[in-house]
Amino acid sequence: MSVQPAARASASKVWEENAVPRHRIQWCPGCGDYGVLNALKLAFTRLELVPHEVLLIGGIGCSGQIRNYLNGNGFHGTHGGPLAYALGVKMANPDLRVVALAGDGDTFAIGVENFVHACRRDPQVTLIVMDNGVYGLTTGQRSPTGGLGQDFPEFSEEEPPPFSPLRLALAAGATFIAQSFSGDPKHAAEVYAQAMEHPGFAFVNDFSPCVTYNKFNTYDWFRERLQPVPADHDPTSLEAAWELLADFRRRGRSPLGVVYRNPRRRKAQRRVPMWPQELEGIDLEPMLRAFR
Amino acid sequence: MAGRLKVLVGGVQLRDGVGTVVDVVGRIATRAGLHVLANERNYASTIYGAHQFDPLLICEEPPLSHGDDQVDILVALEFDSNPDAPQQPNRDTILRHGAHLRDGGVLLYDASTGTVPTEALEARGVRVFPLPARHIALRELKREVVKNMVVVGALFRLLEFDMDQHYLRALLEERFARKAQDLVDLNLRAALRGRAVVEEVLRERGWPSVGYRLEPRSTSEPLLFLSGTDALGVGAIQAGCRFYAGYPITPASPLLEFMDRYLPAYGGRSLQGQNERESIRAALGASLAGARAMVGSSGPGISLKVEEFGLAGAAEIPIVVVDSQRAGPSTGMPTKTEQADLRMAISAGHGEIPRIVLAPSTLEECYTLIMDAFHLADKYQCPVFFLTDLTLAEVRKSVPQSLFRETVRIVREGVLTEEDLRRDGFRRFRLTESGISPRIFPGTPGAVFKMSGTEHDESGFVTTDPPRRQAMMEKRMRKMETYLREDARGPQVYGDPAGRPVLVGWGSTKPVLLEARERLRAEGLEVAVVQITHLWPFPTHLVKPVLQAASVLIVCEQNYSGQLADLIQERCLLPTRRILKYNGRVFYVSDIVRGVHQIVRQGIGEVRVAEALPVPVEAHEGE
Ligand SMILES: Cc1ncc(C[n+]2csc(CCOP(=O)(O)OP(=O)(O)O)c2C)c(N)n1
Ligand code: SF4
Repeated sequence: MSVQPAARASASKVWEENAVPRHRIQWCPGCGDYGVLNALKLAFTRLELVPHEVLLIGGIGCSGQIRNYLNGNGFHGTHGGPLAYALGVKMANPDLRVVALAGDGDTFAIGVENFVHACRRDPQVTLIVMDNGVYGLTTGQRSPTGGLGQDFPEFSEEEPPPFSPLRLALAAGATFIAQSFSGDPKHAAEVYAQAMEHPGFAFVNDFSPCVTYNKFNTYDWFRERLQPVPADHDPTSLEAAWELLADFRRRGRSPLGVVYRNPRRRKAQRRVPMWPQELEGIDLEPMLRAFR
Repeated sequence: MAGRLKVLVGGVQLRDGVGTVVDVVGRIATRAGLHVLANERNYASTIYGAHQFDPLLICEEPPLSHGDDQVDILVALEFDSNPDAPQQPNRDTILRHGAHLRDGGVLLYDASTGTVPTEALEARGVRVFPLPARHIALRELKREVVKNMVVVGALFRLLEFDMDQHYLRALLEERFARKAQDLVDLNLRAALRGRAVVEEVLRERGWPSVGYRLEPRSTSEPLLFLSGTDALGVGAIQAGCRFYAGYPITPASPLLEFMDRYLPAYGGRSLQGQNERESIRAALGASLAGARAMVGSSGPGISLKVEEFGLAGAAEIPIVVVDSQRAGPSTGMPTKTEQADLRMAISAGHGEIPRIVLAPSTLEECYTLIMDAFHLADKYQCPVFFLTDLTLAEVRKSVPQSLFRETVRIVREGVLTEEDLRRDGFRRFRLTESGISPRIFPGTPGAVFKMSGTEHDESGFVTTDPPRRQAMMEKRMRKMETYLREDARGPQVYGDPAGRPVLVGWGSTKPVLLEARERLRAEGLEVAVVQITHLWPFPTHLVKPVLQAASVLIVCEQNYSGQLADLIQERCLLPTRRILKYNGRVFYVSDIVRGVHQIVRQGIGEVRVAEALPVPVEAHEGE
C-alpha cells in the first residue's frame, strides 16, 4: 500500500488510492453514506490535505466503514469509541489531522459518554455523524435519534422521543456545531471543510438516510424539513444558537449549516516524544528526590 | 535492638494521623540508614472513622519479609469514646492488636480521656505508657495537629533515638520549606513533651529502659523510602512510557497521581479519563499514534476495559495494563489485598488474542519488570498485563538509590522508515514467521495504515474469507510461540526442589515464602521456593522441569480457588496442594509454616488460613 510522493494533488482521485475499490463498497445502493463519502473527498481536496497526514477513525456501523473507502490512515475500534481514541491520538501527536466518522447509534447511544466529554475537552478532532435514526448494520433497530418528525403524544420507557444531538452538543459545551445533508454533498463538503479548520472539537450532524431500514426519514422527507441557517445568524453567539434551534423546532424544521462556532482559548500543545533518541538518557533525579 | 523491631500504629482513620506518624518515623529511620518495611497499610474504604493500622518493621539489615503479625511496640492513637457504645471506649487498636503484642513488649497509648485497663497485658510483661498526647497538643501547645509529633517524640524516647532532634529538625525544616520557623519549633517542642512523658513513666516505674535502642547506621549510599507504585512509576517513565490514563480507583489511584505529577516533566501526558473506557481508549489512540502507553486500574476497572483488550489484540496495538489487584468480587473490599485476577488477566475477553501476563514479586521488581512489560508490548504489539496487588502497590520500603540505575535502551522493533516503505511497500498485518508485522505510525510519508479490530486481511481491510481469517488468526497467535521461544522467563528458584516440598507463589507473597523457608529449615524441614513472574503464555517448558522434581507442590496464594495451582495442574499435569488466604490480610510467615506442617505431616490437601475475631475488652474512662 504505497502512496504517491506527497504531492499536493488537487483531484479527489488521491483519496481513492489505498482504499476499497468503489465496486466493492458494501453499502446498499442509495445509502446516504455515499453522499458523505463524496463530500469528504471534496472537502479533503479543497483543504489540499495529504493522505498520510490524515487519520480516519471509524465507528462500528455501516457508517464507520467509510474509513476503508478513503485514502489516509484508517482505524476502527470498538462500538462507541472513536472520540476517545481520537483524544489519545491528538494528545500524543497534535500534528495529525483526525476525523472521526460514526453513526448515530455509535455516537449518541453507546458512545454518548465519549461524545459529551469530547464536547467539554475540545480536542482538535472533527466528528461527522451519519445520522439515519436507526442502527443500520444490526438491521434497523431504533437509535436515540430515531423517530425524528414523528408525533409523540405519549411515550414509554421503551420508546422515548428522539433527542436533539445539536442541543446536547450545545449544552455540553461544544465549540463547533453544524448540520449537513448527504443529499447535498456540495454544501456538506463546505461544512466539513469549515469543521476541519476549526481549532477544537467540531461536530457535524449529517442527515444520511438509511434507505433500507428507515422508510420514514427519506431523502424527500429531509428535503422538505431542512432549511439553511439564515444569513443573518451570528454563529459566535451562544444565545443566538439556542434561539435558532428553538425557532427551527417550533416550526418543525431543522437547520442546515453552522449553528455555533466559537473557539475556546487553549494551551499550546506539545508533541509527546515517540522516537528512541527522544527517550534515552533521561534524568530520574526529579522523581527520586521526593523519596529521600 | 535485636536487629529487628516491629511497631504498629493504630487509630481512627483520618483523625488520629496514623499515616503521618508512620511516614515520619519511616522516613527518619530510612535517613538514619535503617531498613524500613511498611508492608501492610490497613485502612478502610470509608474516608473517616474506621480503624486504621499500619505496622512498620525497622531492621539493621534488609528484612526478608514482614514476618508475623506479632508486634514489639503498639501505638494506640485513639483518645475518645465510641459514641455508639459509651461502655466501650474506642480503643480499637488495643482491642484488635493487644493479642499480637509480644510478651515483654511496649504499649504506648493516648490517655487524654483516661486510662485503659491493661492488667492482662501487664501480666504478660508488657510495659505500658499512657501519653495524653491530645491534651498536651490542645491545652499546652494550642494546636491539636501537633499531637502526632508528641507521639513521635515519645516513640523516639522509647527507642533512645534522635535524642538531640537532629533528624526530626531536618525533616520538619524541609516539610515547612524553611518558611515557617515557628511551625518547626512548635513541632519540636511537641516532640520534647512526648519525650518528657516517657521519661517520667520510666522514672516512676523504675525502668532503666524498655530494651530497644535504634542506632543510626552509615550506608554506602543513600536509601530512599518509597512505595511499590512509586517504583513502578519510575520504571515506566524510564522505559519510555509517555502516555498514561487512569480513572480513580483504589489501589491504582496513586499511579495516576504519580503520572500526573511526573509525566509532563518528561514530555509525556497523563489523562484522568471520564470513565474506564475513555481511559483505555485514549491510551490505545496514543499508542497507535506512536507513544508508549499504559493504563492502570484495579478489578472493577479492569472488567470495564475488557472489550478494549480484545481490540488491542486484534488490531495489534501495544498497551501495558497495570492491574493493582484488590479483594473482589464486585467492589469487594477496595482497601484489602487479594490475588484473584489471574484468571481474568489470562483470559478476559471474547475470542482469543495474544497477550502477555507478568507479575512482579517485590518492590524492586515493580521497577525492573515494568520495563520488560513495555519492551514486550512494543515487540509483540499486544496487551501486556502487569499484575501487582494492593500489598505490592502500597508497600513502602527503604531501598538503595542504586536500584534505579538500570540503563534502558528503547528498541522499537519493526517500525518502518520512509526508505523501507519505498523499497518493500507496506502491509500493516503482513503474515510473518514470527507473527510480528512491521508497522508505521500515522504521519509517516510514503504509506498509510488501515487498522481494525474487525477481522481483516494483510492490508487491514475487513474480511471473513475463511483462509484469510485462518491465516490472520494464526499469525497473531504465532506471536505467543515466538515469545515463549525468545522472551519467556522461567521461574525464580530458591533451594533445590528435587525430592522436597516446594512452595510455589506469585506476586507479593514471595518474601513471606522465603522467610517461611528459613524458619522451616531451622525446624529441620528443607523446602524450596519457586516464584513465577511470567505467567502467560504459561512457560510450561521452563516451569514443569522444575516442579516435577518436587516431593509435593504447595501453591500459596491469596484467593479462594487457587488460581495458579489450577493453572499448574492444567499446564504441567502435576497435582498441587494449596495454602489459601482471602480474608483481606496479608500472609504471615506463621500462616505458611503452619500450613506446610499440616500438608506435609497430616497430608491435608488444602489449607485455608483463618483468623479469630477480636474479643472486646471492658474499659474504664477517666475524667
Ligand atoms: C459492544 C457492542 N454492542 C453492540 C454491537 C453491535 N452493533 C454493531 S453496529 C451497531 C449500531 C450501528 O448503528 P449506528 O451507529 O447508528 O450506525 P449505522 O450502521 O446506522 O451507520 C451495533 C449496535 C457491537 N458491535 N458492539
Ligand atoms: S443498511 Fe442503511 S445505513 Fe446501512 S448501508 Fe444500507 S442504507 Fe446504508
